[in-house]
Amino acid sequence: MNRRQFLFSGLALGASGSLLLAGWQFSLNPDEDNRDWVLSAILPALLYGALPEDATLAQAALQRSKAAVIDFTAFLPLSQQQQLDQLFNLLANRLSQLALTGHITALPALSVTTRLGLLNSWRDSYLLILQQAYHSLRELLYGAFYGQPQHWQQLNYTAPEFR
Amino acid sequence: MVDHINAALFSSDQHFDADIVIIGSGAGGGIAAEQLTLAGFNVLLLEEGAWYTRDDFVMQERWAYPNLYQEGAARKTRDQAIGILQGRTVGGSTTVNWTTSIRTPQPTLAYWQSEFGVNFQAQNDLKPFFAKAEQRLNIQPWPVPPNMNNARLQQGCETLGWHSSVISRNVNGCANLGYCGMGCPINAKQSMLVSTIPAAMANGARLISRISVRKLRWQGEQVTAVEAVPVDQYFQPRSDVRITITAKHYIVAAGAIGSPALLLRSEVPDPSGRLGKHTYLHPSVISGALFDEAVNGHSGAPQSVYSDQFVWPADNELAGYKLEVPPLHPVLMATKLIGSGAQHAALMQQFNHLQATIALLRDGFHPQSQGGSVMLDQHQQPVLDYPITDYLWHGIRRALLSMAELQFAAGARQVLPIHHDASLYSSWAEAKAAITQLPMQILRQTIVSAHVMGGCNMSSSAQRGVVDPYGRHNQLGNLSVFDGSVLPTSLGVNPQLTIYALVWRNCEQLIAELSP
Ligand SMILES: Cc1cc2nc3c(=O)[nH]c(=O)nc-3n(C[C@H](O)[C@H](O)[C@H](O)COP(=O)(O)OP(=O)(O)OC[C@H]3O[C@@H](n4cnc5c(N)ncnc54)[C@H](O)[C@@H]3O)c2cc1C
Ligand code: SF4
Repeated sequence: MNRRQFLFSGLALGASGSLLLAGWQFSLNPDEDNRDWVLSAILPALLYGALPEDATLAQAALQRSKAAVIDFTAFLPLSQQQQLDQLFNLLANRLSQLALTGHITALPALSVTTRLGLLNSWRDSYLLILQQAYHSLRELLYGAFYGQPQHWQQLNYTAPEFR
Repeated sequence: MVDHINAALFSSDQHFDADIVIIGSGAGGGIAAEQLTLAGFNVLLLEEGAWYTRDDFVMQERWAYPNLYQEGAARKTRDQAIGILQGRTVGGSTTVNWTTSIRTPQPTLAYWQSEFGVNFQAQNDLKPFFAKAEQRLNIQPWPVPPNMNNARLQQGCETLGWHSSVISRNVNGCANLGYCGMGCPINAKQSMLVSTIPAAMANGARLISRISVRKLRWQGEQVTAVEAVPVDQYFQPRSDVRITITAKHYIVAAGAIGSPALLLRSEVPDPSGRLGKHTYLHPSVISGALFDEAVNGHSGAPQSVYSDQFVWPADNELAGYKLEVPPLHPVLMATKLIGSGAQHAALMQQFNHLQATIALLRDGFHPQSQGGSVMLDQHQQPVLDYPITDYLWHGIRRALLSMAELQFAAGARQVLPIHHDASLYSSWAEAKAAITQLPMQILRQTIVSAHVMGGCNMSSSAQRGVVDPYGRHNQLGNLSVFDGSVLPTSLGVNPQLTIYALVWRNCEQLIAELSP
């Protein structure tokens, strides 16, 4: 088992355990730290190639996207918000556990490619719940990033100035 | 004097009374509000969304989706396999729709007659009502040349000898901007927001916005009251204030997920067992294509050409599908494109060169296409379960093949079926071989819908329907359902004109019955 597979199976266990057994360990309540932690881990990977090369600009783009995620999720139905919060809590917890036990390096040290590989492994997982997590995070985060006019330059698109 | 009340401002319990209360202000609710007001009834129109108007429409997805769409435009079926777009604002989905206006196809009406006993012939002909709605909403063939996104669809059809046709649109003074999906900023689109609703209000109808109807109270064979609550700034139902409304007649027009959900919450009698069942979506799949010349799919009337080449296959075992194009905007495109990281970024950089074609499957016409079921979650909010059968999967694969063939015929450099196992293909032969092998599975094949229909179907027999052919509820005498949820199958065309005509006709019947 290579490291990525290991990481994946660890997460899978966590996911099936907590998301399928109602009420187990991972709270449905929002936890800002967990959400921030997960977004900070995943956004740079998902947006690899889309973020500006300049580190300061990239940081600003990430901050804007995070803020947009938070603004947007308040409009989702409560049950979807709870599922997302549970996912953030689970991921934050699982990843930090794996890092603590030395199975993986602490997340910030993981390369962007490894993080992307991890995400993509959910897409290809046999567990429906991980596939759903992949798609819901992906849509939420891409929507948040590409919703911002500051990020349209590389699309060569400007919104019409109408009024 | 325009009479609008914003329920979000209520800080204590409220009660209202009217001759007729209409729940939902979309295609069905909007037509009904005008017709019933003109007939002299005191009408109260209730809408969960806000009363946003042209000055609010800033042509940005980041504002439009959370503020104008159900669930922030992120509504999904229960297994999350199908993304559903529906409006939630005054004017309902008509405020954000893409203006395509097509009459109900004859074969659909014939199917309803044979399967549901609903007769639209002779004195029941809908044609006069299509004509009325077309005149009221200025529906006409779009006289301006199509934008490049639509032109490629037309070109592909011409090259292959396939059917194509120019679309009629409900617009007046359209500047060809292309932002219909975010609310028309110049009131050119003749949605309910700018046509029937203001006309009804000018004649005395009252509108309450930001109010979520939770329940119909009923006793015996009568609805006795509506129970509602205001929504908060995120459109979540509040629990601190209660609103009750009484009326002589109650019209449910909350759309094809909202209406069945309301009736389910109210636990109304359902002897046919069809309430919330047989919900149809025109499940739609997408094919992207890169062209050397710019396409600029964000600019220009979003839909102006369609093809009916494959809607009514001779072999009834095959699912039919209609070909159209969607508008292309950054969020819509980014969330639907496949891949992640550098691969996704590279595709996004070709934004202006991407053409997209969609195929809308005609569901509901086959034993293996019986639609979905609306259920309620722990917060009493609707969730649609929609199983995808082999019949539909088979149709989806054929649709992907047709779209790739069409796009190459239109001169595409590369074609990208929107399926998570697909990649850019450089020739029709390559695409064909690859599409034949793509696994037809949920969450691998991207599926979307902007056309929700059914869930309170009409039928001449109370055993086969929730309402009668005029939208009257079969068990509760003073209740009508006037929206897309009465359709007994999908349509095979975009739904708005069918709903306008049907509701207009049903209003005339209701007026005759209620008038002294
Ligand atoms: C993006 C998009 C593009 C489309 N493009 C086209 C097109 O080009 N041509 C076409 O023919 N059709 C199109 N459609 C579909 C078409 O607009 C709809 O089929 C039609 O508007 C449905 O009418 P309706 O009355 O059933 O529901 P809607 O128009 O959806 O109206 C229902 C209203 O009820 C409100 N409501 C729901 N629940 C409650 C509640 N509990 N209390 C109070 N209010 C409630 C909702 O907020 C909504 O405003 C499109 C739809 C979308 C979303
Ligand atoms: S294309 Fe026409 S109808 Fe649509 S938003 Fe632009 S001006 Fe309005």
